[in-house]
Amino acid sequence: MSKLGFAISIAFTYFTIIYLTGLGGLFSERSGIVNIGLEGLMIIGTVTGSFGAYYFGAKLGWGVPAGPIMGLLLGLTCGAAFASIHALATVTFKIDHIVSGVVINLVAVGLARFLSTIFFGQATQSDPGQPHLHVISIPLLSSIPAFGRAFQGLSPFVLFPFLIVFPVWWVLNRTRWGLRLRSAGENPEATRSLGVAVAPLRWEGVLISGAFAGLAGAFLSVEIVNNWREGQTLGLGFIALAALILSNWNPIRLMGAAFLFGFAQAVPLALRDWPIIRSIPEQFVNMTPYVVTIVVLAGFIGRVRPPAAAGKAYEGTTT
Amino acid sequence: MAITATAPPAAGSGVKTRPEWLERAVGQGLALLLALVIALGLGAIIILLYGESPLAVYGSILRASTTDKDGPAWVLSAATPLIFSALAVSVCFKGGLFNIGVEGQYLVAMVTAAWAALHLGDILPGPLLMWGVLLFGILGGMAYAAIPGALKVKTGAHEVVTTIMMNGIAVSLVAWALNNPLRYTNAPAGQNVDLRTNIFPAHAKVPDLGHLLGYGPAPRLSWLFPLAVLAAAIVWFMVKRMRLGYEARAVGASVGSAQAGGIGIGSVQMKLFLISGALAGLVGMQQILVNNASTSTGGYLPQNYEATLGFTGIAVAFLGQNNPIGIVFAAIFWASLSRGESILPIETDMPREFVIILQGVLIMSVVITYTLAKRRLERRQTGRVLAEEEIVAAEGGPVEVGEALS
Repeated sequence: MSKLGFAISIAFTYFTIIYLTGLGGLFSERSGIVNIGLEGLMIIGTVTGSFGAYYFGAKLGWGVPAGPIMGLLLGLTCGAAFASIHALATVTFKIDHIVSGVVINLVAVGLARFLSTIFFGQATQSDPGQPHLHVISIPLLSSIPAFGRAFQGLSPFVLFPFLIVFPVWWVLNRTRWGLRLRSAGENPEATRSLGVAVAPLRWEGVLISGAFAGLAGAFLSVEIVNNWREGQTLGLGFIALAALILSNWNPIRLMGAAFLFGFAQAVPLALRDWPIIRSIPEQFVNMTPYVVTIVVLAGFIGRVRPPAAAGKAYEGTTT
Repeated sequence: MAITATAPPAAGSGVKTRPEWLERAVGQGLALLLALVIALGLGAIIILLYGESPLAVYGSILRASTTDKDGPAWVLSAATPLIFSALAVSVCFKGGLFNIGVEGQYLVAMVTAAWAALHLGDILPGPLLMWGVLLFGILGGMAYAAIPGALKVKTGAHEVVTTIMMNGIAVSLVAWALNNPLRYTNAPAGQNVDLRTNIFPAHAKVPDLGHLLGYGPAPRLSWLFPLAVLAAAIVWFMVKRMRLGYEARAVGASVGSAQAGGIGIGSVQMKLFLISGALAGLVGMQQILVNNASTSTGGYLPQNYEATLGFTGIAVAFLGQNNPIGIVFAAIFWASLSRGESILPIETDMPREFVIILQGVLIMSVVITYTLAKRRLERRQTGRVLAEEEIVAAEGGPVEVGEALS
């Protein structure tokens, strides 16, 4: 049982990354802009976040928790800044969302190395042992016999998704801005006819997606790995996209989807010597998020429906 | 009737005399030039901020791909997979389909081709083996592209998302194949080598072309390059002169109109996916089938294979305006820039990654200027047609401006 607990504690880590990145994608796509550049935005978050933690925490001697927190904030800011390229291309110049997303992913790899050369003097990684937040064990839950391992030694940031899930839902469903954002993704003509400009809403949606993806990337490099390494995102941006689809673009259902896929990532790492798991090659376990998403998309189980106007340029005149 | 970019020039147009193709060519040329100026300008700013001279950096990149030893051979050899990849993207795009899955399709094709190279030597004698291997690559790509194609046609699942997921699956499939059926078995005893397949038999490999042109073996310029150019010519013929190409363009312009015109949408989309997959199947052949014996590069499928060629193909396809001839030149240009990567750290203080950033800026500005130029052209055409309609007071529905622009 303690193995399962260990698997769940790893799953929490992946869940946090997948959830935050997926939430970024949700804001973008709900505003009508498809964002397949989440992976690239995350990569920028990893390298800048790691630099923030190192620079403020170690070099300036701000220590813990100020250093890691600055790292997370820098990742968030730089993710949003990098996403502004996607916003400029898709909202302002109305080019194809997929092309722009692909370019974001391609450039992010080179830009990350470029920044790493400037930040750390080497292209593909930073020195290990950067400051991170003190790990916590969740009271009560962590003392459950055998199973408590799931709630021990976690980064406190793992709690962040649980703190924001309801506020996010409330903003999207109960505030004027949230409803307008969603209307821009469902029917921009109607949004415009009510006197609301579509372009600023979509800009905001894309910038928020960059902020969340950058934050998720910074969490990975600062809190989990404790340094920057090239390729450490391992396609999690695409898994976040898969979770977003499985959640039907709903922030609460995204919790479940992100945990499911996070657990799928943890299985080959933590449960390798379980009899059933051992007989399945780990590569096939790694495939599950993608296979599940295809099955759901094809309508074999349930139905998902993306925002109606996502991926379409809004050709309004004065926006 | 929807007026689209691909509509033939309005007959008897008396409003303006310049033919449409010339107007479009001039527009595209100017757009490309503007994009180049923007990209090189922004690149120059980055170089200056880095404390280097833009002229020196751009000069180094130019020399690396032209006058330096074997420069052109390096460029053409790097352009080879990009041509196949961009052609694969463009074939689907002609029919309004976005095949993001070229990436996964070529990974799977490398596995099927590697399997054929290691197992079909007894059945296919001599040089026939190479053709068999290429065919297995093509079939692997087609089979993997058939899945999102069938899902699109049968269930309506959007091909962008399904192919992204298929890419993720492909990475795991290659890892599994390298660990199981294609595992390296004849490693020299006691030698610790990277995970990879066994070395392919000699007849499975594509022969070198560079030595016939006076280049050394290092760039691995092979007969795959002429094959890529031939593929571009075939795609051009298919798109412009064959029924499928016409139908694809009709579907790409407007699914509704194509359907009304009696075109079987599903069948066209499926065929495009299969052709795209076949081209994608050849993307990986340059890296696994072209061998430089002295450095023992190529001739097997390694674990650290070159990835993201499928995504780069998307950029190259758009740089080449999804036109097969344009794609050949775009791939060569892209490869020339990439060649600069190896020279920058030697000749200048710029990190090699500057090239990737420059390529990114270039493709972004190209797509933006092309889009703006296309919109401008369409606005003029629409205006012209509207003017004509006023003149002849033609009956029928209004011109759907929105559809033409989208």
